[in-house]
Amino acid sequence: MDLVDRYLRAVGKALPEAQREDIIRELSEDIRSEMEEREEGLGRPLTEAEQQSVLKQRGNPLLLAASYRQDRRSVAFGKQLIGPVLFPFYVKVLSFNLGLTFTIIAVIFIALGLSGQKIGFHDIVSTCLLQLFIQLGAVTLIFSLLERHLTKNPDRWDLSGVRSGLRFDVKMQTNISLPLERPQQISRFESVSIIIASAVALIWMTGVQNYPFLILGPAAAFLKLAPIWYQVYFPIVLLTVAEIVRATINLVRPDWTRFRAMVGVIVHSGGLAIVYFLVKAGSWVMAADSVAGHGGEYGRAVETVNQWVRAGLLITAVSSAVMLVVRVARLIRGPRSRVASSSVGAPAKEGN
Amino acid sequence: MAGTNNHELFENLRLELRRGSLVLAVLTALREERYGYTLRKTLEERGMAIDEGTLYPLLRRLESQGLLLSEWREEEKRNKRFYRLSADGKVMLKQLLAEWQSINSSLNGML
Repeated sequence: MDLVDRYLRAVGKALPEAQREDIIRELSEDIRSEMEEREEGLGRPLTEAEQQSVLKQRGNPLLLAASYRQDRRSVAFGKQLIGPVLFPFYVKVLSFNLGLTFTIIAVIFIALGLSGQKIGFHDIVSTCLLQLFIQLGAVTLIFSLLERHLTKNPDRWDLSGVRSGLRFDVKMQTNISLPLERPQQISRFESVSIIIASAVALIWMTGVQNYPFLILGPAAAFLKLAPIWYQVYFPIVLLTVAEIVRATINLVRPDWTRFRAMVGVIVHSGGLAIVYFLVKAGSWVMAADSVAGHGGEYGRAVETVNQWVRAGLLITAVSSAVMLVVRVARLIRGPRSRVASSSVGAPAKEGN
Repeated sequence: MAGTNNHELFENLRLELRRGSLVLAVLTALREERYGYTLRKTLEERGMAIDEGTLYPLLRRLESQGLLLSEWREEEKRNKRFYRLSADGKVMLKQLLAEWQSINSSLNGML
């Protein structure tokens, strides 16, 4: 794959899907016409450095792709915090985090409702608003910092990676995310998304440990988390940090696909072990100390919530085990598929 | 500091001024059928340099507004997308040129 293809793939990843092929075809034609004209002038093919120079003049792939998007929405609070370039990625990460949080809240409220506890509309709204505020604040802050970096350094991107296509300027330590679609590489957008989502999850988990009402909502008045959650807290934090470290390494070395696969299997196995200990615990919420004397009154709520958590954990365990088998199979199959792809002429080197 | 601010302000105003003129320049250049790269070169040679990140989205917008027609065709063993003015585009160009000439003569009268 030549430099032009790498550049076009990076642009294509950030384009609207419906127009992607058409835009890339036209852009490819424009770039190749310019290169041909230069080659005719020089009387020889362009060197890699000269090709890079042509592509550099066209600018950051992320910014070029953004110029095609009709959607110019942004986030502003007095001044612009997140511009149209990062806005679609911001919405994706925020939707994922909020979706996950609201699903957990919904399960708890449904379980409480089924157990006969009176749940007011006000309780549901206030819990959801609180979560919305926390997630919105954390994700917006992280994306605002990214936007600031992108605005200040629009030209800090590089195509010179021998195997990895677009890469971060390691000397500068930081750079913006440039997405890739190459099968043997990990999308940098994916890596950045994982780092942001995991960082927000870490903040949220720390908050929940100290303030259970963040997850239990008004039910925190009569429910508390069982000791098992505090026992598995640090292993969960450790796995989340491992995932952040893995994504950060892949940000710099997107060609380390095998490294990702191996770390993925380790993190997944760790996750499965945590789920095992959680299932084994048998009780995940308890009556709060303040209602200790009213066991019968709140006993049914505790029992119902525990039944739902058990079902959720069992579903998680089964799906997680299946995913682990798939990951291990891919890890084993990986080298063979790379050999096959290189035999038809596609470069498929890997850096580790 | 004030010099930098003035320079930035000038750049912003200059870009604003050029943005309006670019549509007119593109429509005028496409009275004759061209593909993207030759259109860009033509504009550049006539002193209206435009980067592809501005030109191609503009061409798409003008086509969606019905002012341009485009077709993919093979030339010199490569597929290229050729653009030309539509019938509506020709009418619009005529109106815009009249407007531009009117603005130009008003400004000249004030200077």
